[in-house]
Amino acid sequence: MSTLERLKKLFINKFDFNIEELKPETTLENLGLDSLDKIEFMFDIESEFKIKIPDEEFKVVTIQDIVDAVDRFISEQIVGSPNPAMEN
Amino acid sequence: MKRRVVVTGLGIISPCGNNINDFSANIMSAKSGVRRISSKYSNLLSVKIAGEVDFNPLDYLGKKQVSSLDRVSQFALVAASQAWKDSGLSIDMKEKERSGVYIGSGMGGANTIEEEYDQLFRHNADRIRPFTVLMVMNNAAASHISIEYGLLGPCLTLSTACASSANAIGEAFRQIRDGYVDVMLAGGTEAFLTYGSFRSWESLRVLAVEDPDDPSRSCKPFSKNRTGLVLGEGAAIVVLEEIGRAIHRGASIYAELLGYSSTADGVHITKPSFEGQARTISEALREAGVSPKEIDYINAHGTATQLNDLLETQAIKKVFGDDAYSVPISSTKSMHGHTMGAAGAIEFIVSLLAIKNQAIPPTINLDQPDPECDLDYVPNAGRKDMKVNTVMSNSFAFGGTNAVLIARKFER
Repeated sequence: MSTLERLKKLFINKFDFNIEELKPETTLENLGLDSLDKIEFMFDIESEFKIKIPDEEFKVVTIQDIVDAVDRFISEQIVGSPNPAMEN
Repeated sequence: MKRRVVVTGLGIISPCGNNINDFSANIMSAKSGVRRISSKYSNLLSVKIAGEVDFNPLDYLGKKQVSSLDRVSQFALVAASQAWKDSGLSIDMKEKERSGVYIGSGMGGANTIEEEYDQLFRHNADRIRPFTVLMVMNNAAASHISIEYGLLGPCLTLSTACASSANAIGEAFRQIRDGYVDVMLAGGTEAFLTYGSFRSWESLRVLAVEDPDDPSRSCKPFSKNRTGLVLGEGAAIVVLEEIGRAIHRGASIYAELLGYSSTADGVHITKPSFEGQARTISEALREAGVSPKEIDYINAHGTATQLNDLLETQAIKKVFGDDAYSVPISSTKSMHGHTMGAAGAIEFIVSLLAIKNQAIPPTINLDQPDPECDLDYVPNAGRKDMKVNTVMSNSFAFGGTNAVLIARKFER
């Protein structure tokens, strides 16, 4: 499954969205998610993709922005040293 | 000039039913909501019984809401929505500032704190759920209700253990009576049936021993063979309104709230004081302008501990004298368990239903009367076709805080 597919699945499990609402260009604002929801959602993304998202780095507006950020973190963190916190 | 306050809506989530009609039918037919608990950790407990609520939050709330609310707030929001709908209330922008919410809870977001701290302590998680603070904080339920209904007046959370929601209702009553607001949603909620909670309560050695023949019969208030309390969970909310407002909009009125007293024993952190309880009952009667003879039903605190039931009996005798023997008294904790922060409100609703139905719910599991508790505790079977005009509900908490509420049938 692509990052976008996994992300859509996460969104649907957590919120009452329909799959058609979740296009790459859909903004979080469109989906009615505010800054607090975003923080909570980041936590679920970190668990799902086994990445760590530094607070300052998550300036995302659309779903595609999230996909790009996730892909970037995945590649950076595979390249970097293993994170002991991930070894649970 | 003290204004008059009436109850115009009820909502409940409980081990005896998740709406007022089911709850009312179940308690009148002596159905126990106590059973062996369903959680996986029950094999680690020595006490495996409780009054559990059978509840799927997704039946009532959206996914996003459910994931951002502890069970304690889920209960409260659903009970509040029932009460709101039941009351037929609608408030305009100006009225919102004169409407508030008071909620009682002993332990707040107990499930969340346990789950997230477990991640931290046992699993060394380096981050826990961002919403943890917001789900655990004791004021979450009240705040969510205030947000949901746009109630912009006082929004408080009261915590006095077993008396929490009796205090919440009583203090809300005073807010309207004294002219600060016109509408209050008031009640309580508790959802603390967690592993940590159970172990904590076990350690205190106040929990009932499971009945060897039938776990659902383990809570035996006023019985000679009572062994302690059975934990429960749930939420109950009432809508209180200033009387003129309620009549003007043609609201259905369950009862008028006549009296409330709030005291402390000042004696011991667990042992109740019958003088403190008696004083609280007297003060409530005095404020209500009601004599003991006029009370048609008492919903007792009746936790089924040795001490409470004995002392509560003595307190009622002290205030009522010989009239203590003519008033029906029941502890519905025998059916729904001890719901702690929700107890005062659930039991106040039981008392209001007695007025509505002109019927009195029983104390179940009362097979071996205790000679020291020799009042009429309505053993085992409810009574229909009773005359019930004026009712009293007692809440006597750990820490020695006491609250008594008195209500009367409203005749136009």
